[in-house]
Amino acid sequence: MSPSFPILTHEFYLAALPILILSVGAILAMLQSVFNAFKGKMAVSTVFFICIVAALFSVFIPTQETSFLNGAYLSGTLAKFGQAFILIVAGAVALMFKETYLSDKLFKGEVTSLYLITVMGMLTMVSSDDVITLFIGLELSSIGLYALIGYISPNRKSLEGAVKYFVLGSFAAALLLFGFGLLYASTGSIRLSEITRAISSIGNHTWVTLGGMFVIAGLSFKLALMPFHAWAPDAYEGAPTGITALMATCSKLMIIIVTLRLFAGSLEPMAAEWQPMLAFVAVMSMIFGNVMALVQSNLKRMLAYSSIAHSGYMAISICAISGHSELPFQSILFYLCGYTLTSLVAFGVIMWLENEKADQLTLSDISGLAKTHPWASFALATAMFSFAGMPPTVGFLGKFFIFNAALQDELYGLIIIGAIGSTISLYYYLRVIVKMYMTEKPEIAPVFVAKRSYLLSLVVAIALTSVLALGTLLPATVMASLKKPSSSLLFEE
Amino acid sequence: MDFLNQHVASLTIFLPLLTGLVVLLIPSLRLAKSVAMAGSILTFLLSAHIWYYFDSSAAGLQFVESYEWIPDFGIRYIVGVDGLSLLLVVLTTFLMPLILLSMSHLNDKNQKSFIALMMALECGMLGALLAFDLVFFYVFWEVMLIPMYFIIGIWGGKDRVYATTKFVIYTVFGSLLMLIASIVLYLLYYAKTGVYSTSLLDLYQVGAVAGTQMWLFAAFALAFAIKVPIWPFHTWLPDAHTQAPTAGSVILAGVLLKMGTYGLLRFAIPLFPQAVSAFAPLIMILGIVGIIYGALTAWMQKDAKKMVAYSSVSHLGFVVVGSIALIGSEFSQEALSGALYQMINHGISTGALFFLVGVIYERRHTRMLSDFGGLASVMPGFAVLLIIATLGSVGLPGTGGFVGEFLILLGVFQANPIAAVFSSLGVLLGAVYMLTLCKAVLFGPVKHEENKALQDLTAREYGYLVPLAVLIIVMGVFPNFFLDKIRPSIDHLAKNYQNYSLQVMDVHHVQNREVVSVGLKAQSEQSDKGN
Repeated sequence: MSPSFPILTHEFYLAALPILILSVGAILAMLQSVFNAFKGKMAVSTVFFICIVAALFSVFIPTQETSFLNGAYLSGTLAKFGQAFILIVAGAVALMFKETYLSDKLFKGEVTSLYLITVMGMLTMVSSDDVITLFIGLELSSIGLYALIGYISPNRKSLEGAVKYFVLGSFAAALLLFGFGLLYASTGSIRLSEITRAISSIGNHTWVTLGGMFVIAGLSFKLALMPFHAWAPDAYEGAPTGITALMATCSKLMIIIVTLRLFAGSLEPMAAEWQPMLAFVAVMSMIFGNVMALVQSNLKRMLAYSSIAHSGYMAISICAISGHSELPFQSILFYLCGYTLTSLVAFGVIMWLENEKADQLTLSDISGLAKTHPWASFALATAMFSFAGMPPTVGFLGKFFIFNAALQDELYGLIIIGAIGSTISLYYYLRVIVKMYMTEKPEIAPVFVAKRSYLLSLVVAIALTSVLALGTLLPATVMASLKKPSSSLLFEE
Repeated sequence: MDFLNQHVASLTIFLPLLTGLVVLLIPSLRLAKSVAMAGSILTFLLSAHIWYYFDSSAAGLQFVESYEWIPDFGIRYIVGVDGLSLLLVVLTTFLMPLILLSMSHLNDKNQKSFIALMMALECGMLGALLAFDLVFFYVFWEVMLIPMYFIIGIWGGKDRVYATTKFVIYTVFGSLLMLIASIVLYLLYYAKTGVYSTSLLDLYQVGAVAGTQMWLFAAFALAFAIKVPIWPFHTWLPDAHTQAPTAGSVILAGVLLKMGTYGLLRFAIPLFPQAVSAFAPLIMILGIVGIIYGALTAWMQKDAKKMVAYSSVSHLGFVVVGSIALIGSEFSQEALSGALYQMINHGISTGALFFLVGVIYERRHTRMLSDFGGLASVMPGFAVLLIIATLGSVGLPGTGGFVGEFLILLGVFQANPIAAVFSSLGVLLGAVYMLTLCKAVLFGPVKHEENKALQDLTAREYGYLVPLAVLIIVMGVFPNFFLDKIRPSIDHLAKNYQNYSLQVMDVHHVQNREVVSVGLKAQSEQSDKGN
């Protein structure tokens, strides 16, 4: 690519429109909470959803170029895929959130602003080839998340989660930045795609290896891969469930896209160096994530450990990246789509069941749920089967594709461990179902007041339908639509 | 008619699922039951259509439908019937209306869910039997588990949660290894031809090198061995059976267990012929151990249902021995047809036995042999049917069991006389424990007061037991009616398992009785070019 002089062209503004819209929205939302006249819940949420929808539409505006400001901002198919995905999921989470958690008493306009900033940071992160912009995106989204975890309904648990996430997250950010610094020091470039070229020419330099290691460690933190997972259970448990859903879905996607860019591009030449490290964290996550989940009684905490294990499965297919085939990319993106939909269902149901009395759902709270809430139980059971990778849900196909990608790279050991982890995980997923369907309601049971949140039910219903449809009728369509974003990774090499 | 011939396989698979969904939507329980019954009978009629129009002179794959499912990966929706699956398909659809009939007395609020799960289970079983694409097969193979999990877990006995969790985890572990082996096989095919395909017809051509074959076969065989179950992977079975409700036990013994032996014949043997030759002695020994162990354990049981459950381990040991005897023997068609015949026969006679145990359990809420005795005088109708089912299970001449066991022993004797001697011990022991069961329940004085007033079978109970009893005898007297249909497929597998391939027959041949083969491989190649 010919180096172009960084000029803020008309074209650039068009391409960056989603981010611009969100930043204007974030400022507006902040101002709204100052002026009494626009402070109402209605006004704030109107501005919020208009922003998200407008940003989503602007993603689809075609632009001639796909790289701006020397790669600081990309608008290629992968970036657009990531942006659209994040906006849709963040919008869906916000819809679920709107009527359930934010009762009028708790409602704060700043929350909207923080949420928009978080989403903006995520968009920035998926559409950048430049480590500095990347880092800014990461920090924007992380700082937004730290605040959202603790700010919405401050209590012991959520504050603990927020502080842990903040401290460890900052540490991870430092690691990542240090890694990027080392890479820059040894290659003289801050662009991922140029770092690749530099690495190929200078060969296996110690500093390069070390930098790569730090970067992997930093990203593993954010993906909650063992042994960098310690924040995840507390943050998942403490955060308001909507924010947990956001962390489990959008946050993962943005890190995965960056990781894919990084490994397909920059670090590809030194695969032999980082692959063992990534394989190690994958194995640890798959085994310990699943084993730790076995003993959890809090649902959200259990799902936190399960998400650690799922990050492990995704790490397997990152190991399988060879840079010559789009298959691993396609597989991992499909897996992520499936995981996201499943998470939306699971967390949606949890949100639906939660109320002031049953703030933290435990396994015993949902005993005999199938009798009183058949649809919620059905949705949660389907989500559990999908997490466990049982057909006919999308979870099975995701697992199939990941196994396929890894076997193509002959990673037999990792796959066997994945299969064992998967069998272990079945036990705790089934336990949720056992509680709902095969256990009698206890004498003193929490009363679930069905909330009249049609939006939440609608989002869960759509996600549930997609979980089943993607596992049966539609996988080919989705897989085909992932081909383009995936192959763009190959060309960016 | 043409439409029916073209789509009968898919209709057979998905009609039960559709029925199940409709059942859930109907508010009235009475109507829902009638709809379920109608749906299951219609499914049976569809399979009867397949049976009737099945060309018994050809070994190829008939009533084939093939569509793309995930073209990027060469995964297709392929369904079809050949002699190996034909009888099992009909058995499945035949048992289902009887099971529904047996269920209608359940006074349970969730009856509709139960029926819907049963129908979903039927869809899974038929799908697994008719699928000719490895991934597609795997999907159905796992889909079978989910309804069964709920059936045992919700409507089962005291330890149902333990039993059902054990059942699922055991099975899934085996299946996951099979999934990995399937993917490896698929990649081997890609390496060989440059085309992605999961079609079984294509994968038969892979011919993996010997070393790889061993691993792949081991993974497949483990999955199937757990399902059968072959000793020592059988420990989930007694738990699952004793905890399952009667309808669940019948379907578990009747069809689900056969999936393992069917899988051996359909997948493990033709896909990995060299490995199977190497493993044959081991599997044969495990099969024989299963026969004897199952029989001895059954003998020792005090619980009637457990006894029948262990008898399944023993009987399926026979099927395994019969299936594997074809390796290295030129006379093995007998053993193989015996194995297939015994699968059906076991499904019917054990199904009947589970029904009968269910009948007395319902009346007395106990299954302990010591709580019965002398029922022959109180319930004569029950006694007659129990004796027929027992004789069918023991393999008395004139019942289907005799034909199956005789053919297996004949084949095995030609292949390996010592194995035959040990296997035939199973026949002897079978008679011992089954007659013990009969004696304890039916004969002697009526020891318990409660038993004196027991009601004999009701009309509905006759309704689902008599067809099974009749079939036991019909299968014993007219074996060729059944065996003729499947003989070409069996001969084909027995003769060519080392270089197996299946021809696909055009639907039109059903009318013209002319073999027009369509190379599925060519089709998939074309589609790959399209990509």
